[in-house]
Amino acid sequence: MSIVKSVTCPICGCLCDDIELTVENNEVVKVKNGCAICESKFIGYRGEHRIKTPLMRKNGKLVPVSMNEAVHAAAEVLANSTYPILYGWSSTSSEAQRVGVELTEEVGGIMDNTAVVCHGPSILGVQEVGIPTCTLGQIRHRADLIIYWGCDPWSAHPRHLERYTSFTEGRFEKSEWKAYMQKLKAQAGQKKMQSAMRIESGRTQLRPQTCSIPGMPQTMSKDGRKLIVIDVRKTMSAEMADYYIQVEPNKDYELMQALRVLVRDGELDVDKVAGVPVEYLKQVADALVNCEFGVIFFGMGLTQTAGKFRNVEVAISLVRDLNMRTKFSIMPMRGHFNVTGANVVSAWQTGYPYGVDFSLGYPRYNPGETTCMDVLLREENDASLVIAADPGANFPKKAIENMVKHPLIVIDPHMNATSMLGDIVFPSAFVGIEVEGTAYRMDHVPLPLKKVVEPPKGILSDEEILTKILAQVKLIKSKKTAKKAEA
Amino acid sequence: MVELLIKNGFVFDPINGINGEKMDIAIKNGKIVEKVTRKAQLIDATGLTVMPGGVDIHTHIAGGEVNTGRIVRPEDHVKDVVSKTATTRSGTGYSIPSTFVTGYRYSKMGYTTVMNPSMAPLEAKHTHEELNDIPLLDKASYPLIGDWWFVLEYLRKGDLEGCARHVAWMMDITKGYAIKIVNPGGLESWGFGHNVHSIDDQVPNFCITPREIIVGLAKVNKMLNLPHSIHLHTNNLGLPGNYVTTLETMKALESVPYEGRPVGHITHLQFSSFGGDGWGNMKSAAEEISSYINAHNHMTFDMGQVIFTDTTTMTADGPFEFTLYQLSGHKWVNSDVETETSGGIIPFHYKKNNAVNATQWSIGLELALLIKDPWKMFMTTDHPNGGPFFAYPRILAWLMSKKAREATLKKCHKKAQKKSLLPSIDRELSLYELAIMTRAGQAKALGLKNKGHLGVGADADIAIYNINPETTDIARKYKSVRRAFKHAAYTIKDGQIVVKDGEVVGNVSGRTMWLDVQTAEPCRIDDEMRNKFKEYWTVEYDNYPVTDHYVKVKDPIIVKASV
Amino acid sequence: MIVLTPLRKFTFPVNAECINPDVFQGKDTAEIANLTVFEGNKQKKLSELFKIQEDGAESPTITINGDVSEVRRIGVGMKNGEIVINGNVGMHLGEKMAGGKITVNGDACQWAGGSMKKGLIEIHGNAGDYLASPYRGSTAGMKGGKIVVDGDVGSDSGAYLHGGLIKIKGNNVGQFLGFHMSDGVIHVEKNASTRLGANMTGGKIIVSGYVEEVMPSFTIDSVKPKVKVDDTESVAGPFYVFLGDLAEKGTGKLFVSKANNPHLKTYEKFL
Repeated sequence: MSIVKSVTCPICGCLCDDIELTVENNEVVKVKNGCAICESKFIGYRGEHRIKTPLMRKNGKLVPVSMNEAVHAAAEVLANSTYPILYGWSSTSSEAQRVGVELTEEVGGIMDNTAVVCHGPSILGVQEVGIPTCTLGQIRHRADLIIYWGCDPWSAHPRHLERYTSFTEGRFEKSEWKAYMQKLKAQAGQKKMQSAMRIESGRTQLRPQTCSIPGMPQTMSKDGRKLIVIDVRKTMSAEMADYYIQVEPNKDYELMQALRVLVRDGELDVDKVAGVPVEYLKQVADALVNCEFGVIFFGMGLTQTAGKFRNVEVAISLVRDLNMRTKFSIMPMRGHFNVTGANVVSAWQTGYPYGVDFSLGYPRYNPGETTCMDVLLREENDASLVIAADPGANFPKKAIENMVKHPLIVIDPHMNATSMLGDIVFPSAFVGIEVEGTAYRMDHVPLPLKKVVEPPKGILSDEEILTKILAQVKLIKSKKTAKKAEA
Repeated sequence: MVELLIKNGFVFDPINGINGEKMDIAIKNGKIVEKVTRKAQLIDATGLTVMPGGVDIHTHIAGGEVNTGRIVRPEDHVKDVVSKTATTRSGTGYSIPSTFVTGYRYSKMGYTTVMNPSMAPLEAKHTHEELNDIPLLDKASYPLIGDWWFVLEYLRKGDLEGCARHVAWMMDITKGYAIKIVNPGGLESWGFGHNVHSIDDQVPNFCITPREIIVGLAKVNKMLNLPHSIHLHTNNLGLPGNYVTTLETMKALESVPYEGRPVGHITHLQFSSFGGDGWGNMKSAAEEISSYINAHNHMTFDMGQVIFTDTTTMTADGPFEFTLYQLSGHKWVNSDVETETSGGIIPFHYKKNNAVNATQWSIGLELALLIKDPWKMFMTTDHPNGGPFFAYPRILAWLMSKKAREATLKKCHKKAQKKSLLPSIDRELSLYELAIMTRAGQAKALGLKNKGHLGVGADADIAIYNINPETTDIARKYKSVRRAFKHAAYTIKDGQIVVKDGEVVGNVSGRTMWLDVQTAEPCRIDDEMRNKFKEYWTVEYDNYPVTDHYVKVKDPIIVKASV
Repeated sequence: MIVLTPLRKFTFPVNAECINPDVFQGKDTAEIANLTVFEGNKQKKLSELFKIQEDGAESPTITINGDVSEVRRIGVGMKNGEIVINGNVGMHLGEKMAGGKITVNGDACQWAGGSMKKGLIEIHGNAGDYLASPYRGSTAGMKGGKIVVDGDVGSDSGAYLHGGLIKIKGNNVGQFLGFHMSDGVIHVEKNASTRLGANMTGGKIIVSGYVEEVMPSFTIDSVKPKVKVDDTESVAGPFYVFLGDLAEKGTGKLFVSKANNPHLKTYEKFL
């Protein structure tokens, strides 16, 4: 039995790196410090769905083949294709992503990562107005106003509040954990009293305690860090907030633009914006302007609803305006643990963060034109490689149909929706459990991923598989050029 | 290993006092040697200029900040694309080239060693990952230390020895090369949106002044015997009237014993030499600054020359970028790093018909020409802040030719023309002086013993340019000389030909250098320190250091400290 | 005049920047046939994809007969001459165009007339998103010239408009029309969508039809009986005149038909 400390958790963009694992007989048996998702991954990753050998589709069925045969077949497909898509990259290491860029360049394809279905619009927004941001520790030490907009950290990034925002101890700001527990106790007490009253008076219906106008606040004035949650529905995170603003679906843009006017001391001609009374928005604007250090975290509630990248752009513009009055930052809540790394690696090698098209021999970028989803929907591709992602489970039906019409190569540890559709399937080792590497946290801080157990025999890492395919592609291409030269 | 013999070139090797003499250079195993066998490959350098490979003391080419610059500027890349070839990878420019293109373009100009001056220690792994992808060059990075909480606390206590041990440890865990200080105190203040405005302002919450940080770290630098001095980006950078702060900073550093080695390097001096008291009457203070520098020997400098083009400014000086944002309204990136530093990015177009921009252009050249000793002042653009590095040949032309300066100045804003000191300066730099400003001087200031010269034992990093100093009047024929510097006839890296006739023909990874500072008593990483670490950062202590995994070709430089 | 006919239906994107009157000028059909295009990642000659015919008169006109909706970058940066496309056409048609005329007897894809400087584009079918809008990250929108679309137009059109005129005659226009425009005129003859003129700092957007909603960051200024589109044309109203976007400088003008938008009557109380 051994204990491995300071392990980085390869799940979400929080990249908590304080996980303590107990390893017995090459198996993780105990997880300390992690959230529930983290625990289930480290303990349960060796499910029955693990692929054990390379597979190829023969007569309509996936059958086991040798690594060599699979590599040759994959390289043949890629080297001979006219417009291949190499998609995924978000749940693997930056080391593998580096090889991925070279492979895509070599085959003249499109390299796209899962940002295209989550925070790609955030990047487009950033490209229009920039982004005033910071690392998460800066928020821990200094932020006295924390806003979650269109995201629910309590469910999707469980330790975000505890490690980086409201419930952490910083140098200049203290944790709100105790205050929150007191609030919970007080609420529980209130509920008890109410039910006692109800029993006494025999009434079944009780007047609601809080204001019922949608979007009206449940305000609690206090010192210390304040938490604002803005969402279309009352999420778990919203339950904990000092202010909760319920915005009408698809109206975030209007809300934000109205806030910008108010922050600039302007007046509005309307009484309500996105279902929220302007009087209340004025209070929110006051809170924004009067903080010492504020931060907005935003999620897919902003990036994937009507307005998409313009929603992010206006959020950033609001933060730009606020910086004229106080200090404010903004940060996307990135999902996959290394989707940030996929953007970062792609950017340093090509200049562009995702949706990079090498078909003309140099990198080109234009989301909408060179992004994999759009290419699939227009049916322009003739081969695909999917790695460290599962588009089979989350892409629109038409896109997947078009993907499956042509040869599909899949690299994944699991038999998932995509690998079941694949023509050539490579099993790979789990990055961050069976292979070491590097990942980038949502605030672009790089962290090492550890190898804590040995991968199953014969299972290679993403990086090794890609390197083999790349070498084979180069061989095929050099043979072709030699042939051409002869002719 | 191949042997090489460069025959019959005009050699400019200022460290060894060689000024344009016709001689042969022999190379074996990547080093310069006395002689080679007859089997050596010959390079006929007859009629060509031979210099040590170029050295750049300050160029932002890798790391979190640079890469964010790449991400936010697709419109900058789309106008400058580079195709894949049989030997080279594809990529993009313009002002923030992708990693491979950075290596190729430097090499095409005959550069072989570059220094990445701004590395947030928390993101050091990122910087090193990028450096691995920059081919054909030797590289190193300077970690940002000036606003690092531990350093501020040591200096406040007056514990210089403790601070020195801590810095030694930091160099090791970040794989850094020199102490970088940016707007000391200002970056910590910027955490809450404030700034410091003189070297004697108090830094909020830390009871320390910029003066104490600068002088303290200069002394620490001395105690550690680091090869380079402190690398300083002054307070109030980029603001009218800031030359006063710059003079005060230089005077403050007089208190650190000189002992024949510079105690400080002020980088991109142009941005720190503004006169006037507002943008309306902003003017050059090159005269004041250069006359001080000519009378003192304790410091070195680089230009931070401005080029008229569309570029991207990026610096750890977050408050300065915020000022630029307020002035321009352009897209703005701010990137504060917990406990350590801040950062900012603004795209910027320097225009001839803008009085301030044109004055900045003039200031850079005035400084370079008025500072008499070329061993003190080096050529940079603070890439990409003043302009992209591949514009260096244009700066060389301005430095060596009054005619070239006049040609540009007459297109500048009238107000800037009237105020410019350039018409009164007749100095035209020789190839020998240019060799000092672009390689020898920089290598010397950096303490790189095997670089910047062509003596026996030096690294075989060599540039050969298509300039015949005997037949070319460089001041008059500046255009052809500019072309020659843009496309080296040969660039040799570690004894291999990597560029021929301005095209990349070879592939060498290049090394990453860092300091292995050996103190008598190492920095103690006890429980108290670990606990503090947990308080200060959001990452675990064990995950913080840059391990060997992150450096592809390792070149640690051992330094014996005197503590 | 050169007539191009696609030899087959293209499934891969075709990059054909060379289809440009300035490039064809002074070349015979053999030279034109040799021009480089890319189909996916395969480099080809123009003649491998198109039948190329010379048609009598010595005029700098290119006619394309057939569906070229996968062919991109036709007429990019063109300065003179004319292109007529009888069919649908792909992305980036006439991007950065600096003169001449393009006629599309069909639909155009995204970024038609992007960052255009001068000239005329007539699209008789529909236009995609980003009509006249600049490339990612750029604020260099259309500076001059004229674009007329008979059909519908996608979202984010006329972004960062800095001059020129866009006329839209179809029933539908996507959201964010005239985003961050600073000058120039957009005339929507029928209905417009939401987020009209968001972040605008100058210029005019005129909507003669119905507008679902005016951004909350616009303020009503007046009611005007008519408005000038350009030197030759003005439209009769009456129009509500809004100023905005107040989240920026608030110096842009939005004209919305009074008759077709009774739901905006509430604004009249501020007049």
